[in-house]
Amino acid sequence: MTADSAILRALGRRGLELLVLLVSISTLLFFLLRLSGDPAAVLAGEEADAETVALISQRYGFDDPLLIQYLRYLAAMVSLDFGNSLTAQTDALALVMERLGSTLLLALLALVITAAISIPLGAWLGFRPAARSRKWTNALVFILQGIPGYIVGLLLIQLFVVELRWLTSIGNQGPSSWLLPSLTLASFLVPKMVRIVAANTAETMAEDYIRTARATGASDAALLMRHALPNALLGATALIGTQFAFLMSGSLITEVIFAWPGFGALLISSVERLDFPVVQAAVFVIAVLVSVVNAVTDIAFSVIDPRLRTARQSV
Amino acid sequence: MSTQPAFGLFKRRHAGFKKPAMADAMLILGLCMAAILVVLTLVFGLNPPQSANTGSLMTRFKPPALDGYLLGTDQLGRSLAGRVAAGMPWALGVAMVATSISLIVGTAIGLVAASLDGWPRRIIRMVIDTVIAFPSLVIAVTVIALLGRGFWPLALTLGLATWPISARVVFAEAMSIVQRDYVLAADLAGVAWPKIMVFHVLPALRPTLLTMFAFTFADMLIAESALSFLGLGVPLSAPSWGNILSESRESLVVAPWMMLAPAAAIIFSVVALNLIGDGISAISRRNSGRAS
Amino acid sequence: MTGLLEIEELSVGLASNQGAPLLVLDRINLTIRKGEILCLVGESGSGKSMTALSVMGLLPPGVEVISGSIRLNGQELLGLSDTQWRTIRGGAIGMVFQDPMTGLNPVRTIGAQLSETIRRHQGSSKEQALAIAEAVLASLGVPAARERLSVFPHQLSGGLRQRVMIALAIVNRPGLIIADEPTTALDTTIQAQILDLLRDRLAEAGGLMITHDLAVAAEIADRISVIYHGRIIEEGPTQSVLADPRHPYTAGLIEAVPDFGHKGRPLVPIPGQPPPPAALRQFCSFRDRCRFASPACAEMPALSAAGKSRKVACHHALHRGTAG
Repeated sequence: MTADSAILRALGRRGLELLVLLVSISTLLFFLLRLSGDPAAVLAGEEADAETVALISQRYGFDDPLLIQYLRYLAAMVSLDFGNSLTAQTDALALVMERLGSTLLLALLALVITAAISIPLGAWLGFRPAARSRKWTNALVFILQGIPGYIVGLLLIQLFVVELRWLTSIGNQGPSSWLLPSLTLASFLVPKMVRIVAANTAETMAEDYIRTARATGASDAALLMRHALPNALLGATALIGTQFAFLMSGSLITEVIFAWPGFGALLISSVERLDFPVVQAAVFVIAVLVSVVNAVTDIAFSVIDPRLRTARQSV
Repeated sequence: MSTQPAFGLFKRRHAGFKKPAMADAMLILGLCMAAILVVLTLVFGLNPPQSANTGSLMTRFKPPALDGYLLGTDQLGRSLAGRVAAGMPWALGVAMVATSISLIVGTAIGLVAASLDGWPRRIIRMVIDTVIAFPSLVIAVTVIALLGRGFWPLALTLGLATWPISARVVFAEAMSIVQRDYVLAADLAGVAWPKIMVFHVLPALRPTLLTMFAFTFADMLIAESALSFLGLGVPLSAPSWGNILSESRESLVVAPWMMLAPAAAIIFSVVALNLIGDGISAISRRNSGRAS
Repeated sequence: MTGLLEIEELSVGLASNQGAPLLVLDRINLTIRKGEILCLVGESGSGKSMTALSVMGLLPPGVEVISGSIRLNGQELLGLSDTQWRTIRGGAIGMVFQDPMTGLNPVRTIGAQLSETIRRHQGSSKEQALAIAEAVLASLGVPAARERLSVFPHQLSGGLRQRVMIALAIVNRPGLIIADEPTTALDTTIQAQILDLLRDRLAEAGGLMITHDLAVAAEIADRISVIYHGRIIEEGPTQSVLADPRHPYTAGLIEAVPDFGHKGRPLVPIPGQPPPPAALRQFCSFRDRCRFASPACAEMPALSAAGKSRKVACHHALHRGTAG
C-alpha cells in the first residue's frame, strides 16, 4: 500500500460518508418540515392568511406527490439551489457562506489557544503522574472541567466586560474583541484535550523505549520532547475530527453569547424564525465542512505516522 | 494470592499504593453530591417552591443574603434559589431520560454490530462514524425547532442525537470481550449469539456502561441547559437552569449575581457526575489489573 | 584488586503499606572483573532484573535501594545526581534490554536514535555520529547498514532490532555491558547469532548477563551466580557449578532442563513456587521446596566458601555424588 492509494482510500471513504450524511440529514429535514404541520403554513409564517398559504403551497409544489417533492428537493440540493432566505430575501447559500469566514476565524483561534494550553499542561501532568505537584493541579483541572464552556463565556463577560470594562462583548470589532469569544470556544475543548494529552503522555512514558532512551543517558527534557511527546501527540491528533464537531456545536452558543456574526448565530436565528432555506443551507455547509476536516485529518495522519507511511518491509 | 513474581507484584502494589484512596474517595464524594441532588430533586419535584413563581416588583434585583433571599432575586422579584430548585426536576429529568435512551439504543446497536460480520457491520459502523462526526447540537437545535418545545421532544432528540457515541464505545469493548475464553467456550458449546451477548458480554460491560452513564448524564445536563439558554428547550415561563442563565444576561450590569445560582447548580452536578464517572473507571481499571 | 563492578551488601526494597519494605534483594554481593562475563541466573521474581536496574539507577518508582554499595571502577554509583547519571548511562555502562519489539521508539529512525546517544557521549557532529552508527551496525552484522540508518524500527525484523538495541548499548565503548535476557524474546534460530555477537562484545569490556536459561549461561559465562528470592545462593566458575552444583536449587535447575537426547525420560521440575518478597527472612527461602530440608534450615544459611572460588549458601551443601 503506497501513500497515494492510502490517500485515495481516505478520500473515498470520507466522500461516501459525506454523501450518506447529506442524504440522511436532508431527508430528516424534509420529513420533519412536513411532520410539523403544513409546510406552506410554516413557510408563510404565522400571520399569513389562507390565500397566501395556498399560493406558497402551489409555488413550492407542496401539493404534488411526496415522492416528486422529495426528488425535486434532492435535485435542488445537488445543484446547490437552496432558494432565498424567507426573511432576508437573498440567496440562502450566499448568506451562509458570507458568515462562514467569521466562524472559521473563531474556530482557528480557539484551536490555537487549545493547543497552547493543553499541550504543555497535559505533557507536564502526564510526565510524572504520581508526583505531588501533579496531584493538586489535577484536582484543580478536574474542578475546572466541570464548568461548561458557555458558562465560562458568561463568567468572562462578567469579569472583563462588566466589572473591569477592559473589553467589549459584542460582535466582531477587531482583534481586541477576538479574545473573549475564542477563549470561550476554546474552553469547550481544553478540558478534554488536557486529559487526553496527559493520558497519552503517561501511557507513552510507561513504554519500554523510554527506558531504553533513559539507559542511554537521555535527560528528562530530551525524553519528553523527543520521545514522549511525538508519540503522545500522534494519538491526540486523531481526535481532531470529533473535536471539530464539538467545536461547531460550541460555536453555536458562543456566537449567540457574544453576538458574533458567524454562521452559528445565523443558524440559531434562522431556526427560531423557521427560515427553512437558510437552515438547510447551513446544515449542508456544516456537513461538507466536517467531511473535509475529517478527510484532511485522515490524510495528514497517514503522512505523519511513520508506521502508516511506509509499507511494512520485514528485512 | 501469594505466588506472583516480585516484579509484577510490586508493579501492582505501586500502582495501587496511593491510588485506591484516591479513586474510592472520588467515587464516594461524587455519590454523596449526587445523593444530595437526588433528594433535593424529589423534594422539589413533589413540592415545588412557591417562591419560584411569585415575586413582585418590590422585591426585584435583591442581592444574595439580603432580606432572607439566599441567592438573590431576579428581574421579576422571584427568588433565585427557588427558581433554581424548581428547575431541578426538569434538568435532571430530561438528562435522565435522554441518557437512558442514548445508552439503551447505543448499547443495543453496539452489541448488534459486534455480533454481525461483513457488510452489516460495516454499514452500522459507517453510520456511527458519520453521525459522530456531525455536531450534535446542530441536529438537536434543528429538530427541536421543528418539533416544538417540551420535555419529551427535548429528551428524545438529545438521546437520539447522541446514541452513536455510546454505540462506538460498546462496540469496541464488546469486540475485546468476545475474545475472552469464556465467551469462546460458550460459543463452542452452542449457545446462540443473542444469549451470549446478553448473558456473557453485557455483564462484562457493566463498569463501562456505568462510567458512560455518568459522563453522558453530565453531557445531557449541559446540552439541555444550553438549549434552554438558547430558548429552545423548556417552555419559556418555566424555570430551567439554562433559561435562568439566559435571563441573567440581560440584567448583567444591574444584578451580576443572577448568574451565580444556576451556574453553581450546573457546575455542582457536573462535577459530581465527573467524580462518579472517574471513580468508577479508576476502580474498574484497578480491579481488572488484579484479576488473572 | 579493584574489580570493574563491585556490588556489596546491596539490599533493595519495595515500599509497602505495612511499614517495613519488602525485600527484593537481600544483601547481594557480586564482583565482575575486567574482561569477565558473569551470568546471574534465576527464575522470574528472583530479583535478577532488579540487580541490573540497580546498577543503572533505573529502579522503577516504589522500589528503592535500602543499603549497600555499588561501585564502578571504585566510584560509588548510589546517590549520584541525575546529571552525573546521564554521563554514566550509555557512556560508562551500556544496557541491552529484553524485548526489541517494544524497546525502540517507533516514530524515530534507527539513525536518529543511535546518533542521539553518540552525540551525547562523544560530542560528535551529525555526520560523524551517523558514520559511527553505520560502523557499529556493520560490526554487528547488519547488512546495508548505511541504508538501515534511515528506516523505522517496525521495518526491521526482531533479530535486526535486537542488534540495534545492542548497538545502542555498546556504541560508546562502555567499560561495563549489562544484558537483561537479551535473547528470550527472539526466535531460537536468531538466539545463537545474537549470543555470539554478545559474547565478543561482553568479553571486550566486562559483562553482566541476566538470564533464566542455564544453556545461555553455559554458552557465554565465565562465572555464574545463582540468585533465589533475592539472595545469591551459589557462585563459581561456570563449568564447575554446572558439573558439580552444591546448592539443591542449582541441582534442581540443572535436572529440570529437558534432555533431548534421551526419549522417554520424564521431566523433573522443582516442586512448588518461589515465595513473594517478604520483609523478614529468618528461615531459608528454599526450604519449602527442598528435599533435603531439615530443622537446621530454620536459620538462613550464609554464603560461605565451598571449594576453589566456589561459594554456596546452604546447610546441606551437596558434594559430587550426592546430587541426583
